[in-house]
Amino acid sequence: MRKLVVLITLLFFQKGISQELFLVTDPASNVPANSLSVNVLQLLFKEKFKAGYNYHVMPEATYGLNKNLMFRITAFVSNRNASLVTEGGSFYTKYRFYTSDDLNSHFRLAAFGRYSFNNSDIHQEQIEIMGHNSGFETGIVATKLIKKLAISTSISFEKAIDNKPNYPFPDNLGDNATNYTLSFGKLMYPKKYTSFKQTNINLMLEFVGQTINENGKSYLDVLPVIQFIFNSQARLDLGYRREVFSSMFRTAPNGVYFNLYYTFFDLKS
Amino acid sequence: MKFFNITYIVLGVIAIFSSNKVNAQISKAEIRATGLTCSMCSNAINKQLKSLPEVVNVETDLNTNTFVVSLAEGNALTPLIFKQKVEKAGFFIGSLIVTVDSETVMKNPYIIVKDSGNKPKQIQVQVLDKGFVTEKEFKKLVKSYKSVATFISNNEDDFHVKILN
Repeated sequence: MRKLVVLITLLFFQKGISQELFLVTDPASNVPANSLSVNVLQLLFKEKFKAGYNYHVMPEATYGLNKNLMFRITAFVSNRNASLVTEGGSFYTKYRFYTSDDLNSHFRLAAFGRYSFNNSDIHQEQIEIMGHNSGFETGIVATKLIKKLAISTSISFEKAIDNKPNYPFPDNLGDNATNYTLSFGKLMYPKKYTSFKQTNINLMLEFVGQTINENGKSYLDVLPVIQFIFNSQARLDLGYRREVFSSMFRTAPNGVYFNLYYTFFDLKS
Repeated sequence: MKFFNITYIVLGVIAIFSSNKVNAQISKAEIRATGLTCSMCSNAINKQLKSLPEVVNVETDLNTNTFVVSLAEGNALTPLIFKQKVEKAGFFIGSLIVTVDSETVMKNPYIIVKDSGNKPKQIQVQVLDKGFVTEKEFKKLVKSYKSVATFISNNEDDFHVKILN
């Protein structure tokens, strides 16, 4: 695993053109104004303490209201109770409040907020409002494109609440956490563009970490992603998430992501 | 004879007016966008530009993020629409060069701040206002044109141009 991380890190710092359409760490850039994107994110994580896999499907729709403000809704479906059950949903919004662009480079800052609800049982110390906990998250994200390389980082506050109606948040667990992410993205192909129809291939490396504020328990995951962009409009992401270290109880930290994404540009015309 | 004279004058006046109307347009716009390197991002700008009914064609160079926009005759577009469209896609204009009739740039809403001295019929002008050049360039331009009151006031409805040919 360590070799793989080193190899991917090396690949990133070679020459090329970068990307920032990350799989799990949203950049400070927004979707285009007046565009609608739909995607279906699927997760398959190996259960650590029992046999089998934890499977999630998350259909999402993202709308750009104007150049600075976007909204996203997500539905959470999982096999936690043997069959596929819709357990909850999420509202997400992001506001880009600073941007400084130059030829082939930019620096952007955005603030984001997410509210999620979920009715599944609470089974781990990790707080995850994407498909596990009810709660909210708010934070800021900074994204820099330096000529050929995109780097994005975020810090956020996440708080879990009761998974109504049946599962109150346990008193013996810390219910709020600080999350941090650091992501690198790079375009591997094509070296030179010839048309919008060309398939693009991107490599990404995302680091996702969390510390429970009350007791300092933490984890850090690494997530290498390969991304294909078809016709400058559709996206396919394949990612593998792996725990680097953890001092908290997590039931299924390692697994794969599969994401299909499509953008409808300029709805009004 | 007198009748013909009047007819010619009337026709001539109509011709001047109608040609003026046709001339008060941008026939081509060359946009270089900033802050992007991906084809999906370029496509967002491409689609925004194509959503304008006046746009006949958009040619894109994905490597330089340059969009050459051909416009229908008789349109009444000003450079402002290109700024709005590129910004809607989430990016900014790094340079905008428009091809217009030389008579058009002599009057409102255009203000010539740098003349080349030549006056061919079709001229190319670069728009120098805030949002039409990179931030760095704009800072330099503010120093150069600090004596031009309209340039400093950043009015969205007038366009300060440099004649290129």
